[in-house]
Amino acid sequence: MTATVVAEGVRRVYGETVALDGVSLAVEAGEVFALVGPNGAGKTTLVRALLGTTDAEGSVELFGRDPRAVDPERVGLLPQSFDPPERLSARELLDYYGGLYDEARATDAVLADVGLADDADTWYETLSGGQQRRVCVGTALVNDPDLLVLDEPTTGIDPRGRRALWRLVEDLAAAGTTVLLTTHDMDEAHRLADRVGLLADGRLAAVDDPDVLVAEYGGRSRLVVEADADSDALDIGYRTERSGDALVVHDVPPAEIGAIVDALDRAMISFDSLTWTEPDLEDVYLELTGESGPAGSRSAPAGVAGDRATTDPAEPGDGGRR
Amino acid sequence: MSRTRRLRAAVRADWHSFLRRRTAVFFTFFFPLIIVVIFGVLVQTEPTGGGLFAEPPAYYVPGYLAVVVLFTPLSRVGSEVARHRDGNRFEKLATTPLSRAEWLLAQTLVNVVVIGLAAMFLLGLVVALTGAVLSLSVATVLLLGVYVAVAVALFCGLGAVIGASADSQDGVIAASNAIALPLLFLSDTFVPLDMLPAWFRPAVALSPLTYFSRGVRAATADAGVGSGLDTLLVLAALAGVFLAVGAWSLPRTD
Repeated sequence: MTATVVAEGVRRVYGETVALDGVSLAVEAGEVFALVGPNGAGKTTLVRALLGTTDAEGSVELFGRDPRAVDPERVGLLPQSFDPPERLSARELLDYYGGLYDEARATDAVLADVGLADDADTWYETLSGGQQRRVCVGTALVNDPDLLVLDEPTTGIDPRGRRALWRLVEDLAAAGTTVLLTTHDMDEAHRLADRVGLLADGRLAAVDDPDVLVAEYGGRSRLVVEADADSDALDIGYRTERSGDALVVHDVPPAEIGAIVDALDRAMISFDSLTWTEPDLEDVYLELTGESGPAGSRSAPAGVAGDRATTDPAEPGDGGRR
Repeated sequence: MSRTRRLRAAVRADWHSFLRRRTAVFFTFFFPLIIVVIFGVLVQTEPTGGGLFAEPPAYYVPGYLAVVVLFTPLSRVGSEVARHRDGNRFEKLATTPLSRAEWLLAQTLVNVVVIGLAAMFLLGLVVALTGAVLSLSVATVLLLGVYVAVAVALFCGLGAVIGASADSQDGVIAASNAIALPLLFLSDTFVPLDMLPAWFRPAVALSPLTYFSRGVRAATADAGVGSGLDTLLVLAALAGVFLAVGAWSLPRTD
């Protein structure tokens, strides 16, 4: 593959604040690359450095050229906190940005892509926050770019709209568009990205396939038992430790949760909830940014869906005691 | 062709965006009306007396026109630059084919049309309310249109510089007023040169508005259309410089 974006030793300093400290990365053609990291980690500054909209030290090339010498027809950008001109409808805004390019996609097609066909003639100001963000995403798509850069594209968008946008990005990537996005949504990064770069304190702490990152840095599965008991009260063959108001049992396969419940029952330990969590990209994020707390502190509240199985002892047949 | 396409898209968007701000449009026309009513109708001129308004009513026509030609582009383009910066619109535009000069040109074209209409409205108002006697013909009106267009372009350039220099929209308004008010009164508009101290009079030539004022006065006097063209050339040259500096000053990076 050929690299669409190549950055070497990118450094950006604002006064005494080092926003980027020698970041190097390459994004291959057709790849979806997600940048994640805490607020202030330097994600937006890196996006700007890559596109040449901020002056940074080091070298950056887009399509093998200086970013400011690249044909702008090939690049589509959604800036962070983007607020387009006022008093224009969604259609007029897309017409405006499309009109800046020699070849633009049909406005109706872009409106359909971002799910705004029915609100096309509504003024931007009167759209909901999520709809506004979708218009902004549309402005990055109007020129059918080879490189699409989305700085927090799904901020403020409801789950349905978010998933529609994810499908759109997946379709674009399948068609060969290189996508560079920043996000705070780890599910988004994991689902969309071929590779994830974790930025912390202006440095890339890790870059890899999200599954590889999870395997390397995510830790192991945990069963968090909200119970008032000592860690040595259970003899279950799994490493168990006390963390806050809970017992944390490590490396429990989902199929063994029933055996743990039986063991709790035998030990006469009453519990308020059981939460099983599999390591994911958020664990990687917390681990590499130094934000992870004590073991089990990231346990989800009862009823959380997804890759966490939660057992509420109030439900019949669960063996729990009050 | 592609530049035309870009300009057309930018002008259309800016045109709609401005005209739909009803308060802004209203005061673009209402503000000069207030000035004419206060100075032209309430205060009135006294050609035979002393004081500030001692010249014939026609003398003050460039001053009244200057109210819209000067204030509106300064505040409008300055505020637009501030809004673009606050909304990261320049960051977005930096990755499109639209250049900073084209963006400013689009803003200028919209201002020329809107302020041209306001100036014509104002001219009719001055003649009707103050009894100013002007030598108007089709050629004169066209020449006035050129003066207004060139001066608006000049102050759009200056507005861009103010917008790029000020750190907020409030700052733009404050800076615009601080620059426009002295210019309005010290550019051979409302205050005749002989009312100023002798040592200050050369400084009037430093104001771009002076060339607008003298040119408009010459064009609307009996001297004929051909008179005052030298001031038009100076004004056009200054407009070119201010537009270039304005376009250069627009943010391209953070």
